[in-house]
Amino acid sequence: MIRTEHLTKSFGEVTAVSDLNLDIAQGELFAFLGPNGAGKTTTIKLLTGLLKPTSGRAIVAGHDIQRESVEARRLMSYVPDLAFLYDKLDPLEFMMFIGQLYGMDRAEVSRVSNELFDLFDLDEARSRLIETLSHGTRQRLVIAAALLHDPKVIIIDEPMVGLDPRSSRVVKNVLKERSRGGVTVFLSTHTLQVAEELADRIGILSRGRLIAVGTMDELRQASGVGGALEDAFLMLTQEEEQEEVETRPA
Amino acid sequence: MSTTSFFRLLLGVYGSMARRRVGALRQRSRLMMFVIGIFVLSYWVAGYILFRGGFAFLTKFPGLGGLLMDRMMYVFFAFLFMMLVFSNMIIGYSTLFKNPETQWLLTLPVRHVDVFRWKLLETTLLASWAFLFLSAPFLLAYGQVRNVGGWFYLKAFLLFLPFTMIPAALGSLVILLVTRFLHRRMFKWALFGLGSVVVVAAAYFVKPMQVAQVQHAEMISAMNQLLHNSRVVLQPMLPSYWVASSMIAWGEGWSERGLFFFLVLLSNALMAVLVSVTTSRHIFYEGWSRNHSQGRLRLGLGVLDEDLHLRRGGQVLDRFLALWPWLHPATRALMVKDIRVFWRDTSQWSQFVIFFGLLGLYVLNLRNVAYEWNSEMWAGFVSFLNLGASSMTLATLTTRFVFPQFSMEGRRLWIVGMVPFGLKRVLMEKFWLSSLWSVSITLALTLTSCWMLHLPAWMAVLFTATVVWMSFALCGIAVGIGALFPNFGAGSTANRYDNPAKIVSGFGGTFCFVLSMIYITLVIGAEALPVYFGYGMTSDGRPWGLVVSWIFVSILSLAAIAVPMSLALKKMETMEM
Repeated sequence: MIRTEHLTKSFGEVTAVSDLNLDIAQGELFAFLGPNGAGKTTTIKLLTGLLKPTSGRAIVAGHDIQRESVEARRLMSYVPDLAFLYDKLDPLEFMMFIGQLYGMDRAEVSRVSNELFDLFDLDEARSRLIETLSHGTRQRLVIAAALLHDPKVIIIDEPMVGLDPRSSRVVKNVLKERSRGGVTVFLSTHTLQVAEELADRIGILSRGRLIAVGTMDELRQASGVGGALEDAFLMLTQEEEQEEVETRPA
Repeated sequence: MSTTSFFRLLLGVYGSMARRRVGALRQRSRLMMFVIGIFVLSYWVAGYILFRGGFAFLTKFPGLGGLLMDRMMYVFFAFLFMMLVFSNMIIGYSTLFKNPETQWLLTLPVRHVDVFRWKLLETTLLASWAFLFLSAPFLLAYGQVRNVGGWFYLKAFLLFLPFTMIPAALGSLVILLVTRFLHRRMFKWALFGLGSVVVVAAAYFVKPMQVAQVQHAEMISAMNQLLHNSRVVLQPMLPSYWVASSMIAWGEGWSERGLFFFLVLLSNALMAVLVSVTTSRHIFYEGWSRNHSQGRLRLGLGVLDEDLHLRRGGQVLDRFLALWPWLHPATRALMVKDIRVFWRDTSQWSQFVIFFGLLGLYVLNLRNVAYEWNSEMWAGFVSFLNLGASSMTLATLTTRFVFPQFSMEGRRLWIVGMVPFGLKRVLMEKFWLSSLWSVSITLALTLTSCWMLHLPAWMAVLFTATVVWMSFALCGIAVGIGALFPNFGAGSTANRYDNPAKIVSGFGGTFCFVLSMIYITLVIGAEALPVYFGYGMTSDGRPWGLVVSWIFVSILSLAAIAVPMSLALKKMETMEM
């Protein structure tokens, strides 16, 4: 459902994403990890078509994101870490706008919105202006809006930031349920516990390169460290950094 | 999704938001709304009286009156066109390439070209409405002097629609090409270069007349010279020529000629939009992606090289601030931060350059004014025009750049608010920093203009002292009102107002500008009235009348600094972050 072929993005002399090859199946929940500045957000921007790759290509829901971008975007949802919202609308008006952009009729938007408001505990907020909502409530609204048109692919960047434990649990459950129902979820996060808990497979990016990809067990094996994902992650990224220092010209 | 459906949805959203903003305005203080309303009305009335007086003066010239009035139309629209192109370029760059909504829209299932079309429409409205508002009294005065019927104003409004489309399309085209083919760090240099070329070209071409001739009763000759030197605006390929020609023709009842130029304007406007939108199909997304993908600028061209430029800039700033060892380290750190943030924000200082470009143009033009003190009328007129132009530009600058400073701290306010020196020092630092740059710039401009006008020493001292007061007072108003009515925006961090232009467009910004204008009117009035009524100088040639008015100006200025600043400082004591 998401495939990248030799995907590369350079910012001047800096290569943010280098020769990335991924193949994420339908219904898979894929967690994307990496230290700060590893290139996770750049990868997401390449997958959503916000940035044009320097070379290689990304295929989302069967469509090349550069050549058939509208078709690809119709089948996906993107939740950025800092989402845009219209402050002077209320949540229902916002959902109505989003739903219609995806070609849904008003009755359908209203019905699905009610279900999502119920699910994300947004009922009380539905008639308040978005500008008056807390960060956590806004984040829940953004995630609810992303699910509105029943996308085939969800690309989500740091979904748990600002959420209280209850909301965080709801989001985790929803993502897991959607993935079981055949939706592909690409989740970028710094929270290793979330990845460990939810992901079918995990990819670790360091300095723009995919240094490891696999299930939890496969990552433990690759790192040679048993136990939590944190240990495997630290070992793998540390090895990568060491290798980088050793190969750097004096 | 079709373009029409996309636009209809966005119009619905923007309509709802506009209704709520108007509703929120109603809940504001009625007194303040009243003050703002009175100010707007006063501007229109004062503008109308001024322009009508000017046009009536021109009609008195036998044989030349109509010609001169028409030429004023061509000159006015030529300047308006130039300003609209610049305005569209600056606003278009922010709206198309730096706006979070644009980024979000690009992730939705709509065509990139439709996002561009919507943003082009938004840019056109944002960049043009103020010019239409400002030109209304000019057109009304022209119509009154020409004795036109009510249809003229409707036709004038119709002409404005295609007229604003051409600079919007041209501005966006330039922005598209610049972002696609130039490094984004080059944008400010490109804009600065273009601005400099325009200022130099204008200084070379625009030489209206020698005022000396006017005072020596060579009025006809001077007017001939004015007509001769302003021929540049009569280029038939200029959109300003088409709009002015159409308006003049309709004003004189030549319907067919008016319609002809309207159609020329309309067809060119549609063509310009077509070219711009067609170009955007090919390079808007490429440019957007490129604009957000660029690393450091390394051209090996000295000052244009980003690394070198940042390093040298930092050294110069450090050395400069080291000259004031008594500065508290915290104040110094705040000053360094504010200067660096300002310098590195392209959208901020590109507008700053344009403001000063205009002011510089005005000062350059003073070389044509051969000032002689024995003519009371021209002495007073030119001197106070000079003071008025400088102070109004300064008020625009302080409202646009100083007022948003406190709001721009936004979500970062806690960083400076939590350190031991507190928010009061932050506010005082902003006041002193803004006052110092205002004083240094306006002082340089005032001294240059005094020198060009060959003003007597005491007059130069009076104007210089007034300008210094005004700089401090206008900065006091801007900093004080900026802290009393901050516009931090609302909601998530992505939506917060980091854009100073949006901060200014709120209630506080308008109130700040209104207060600044009231202050300027009082100052100019206090100094100009004694001269107008002949009380400026005593019979033995001593300027006691002006000294008294200057004392009044000093008290007024102190109040303009003290009242908003003390209220703002008091607010800082209890402000929650």
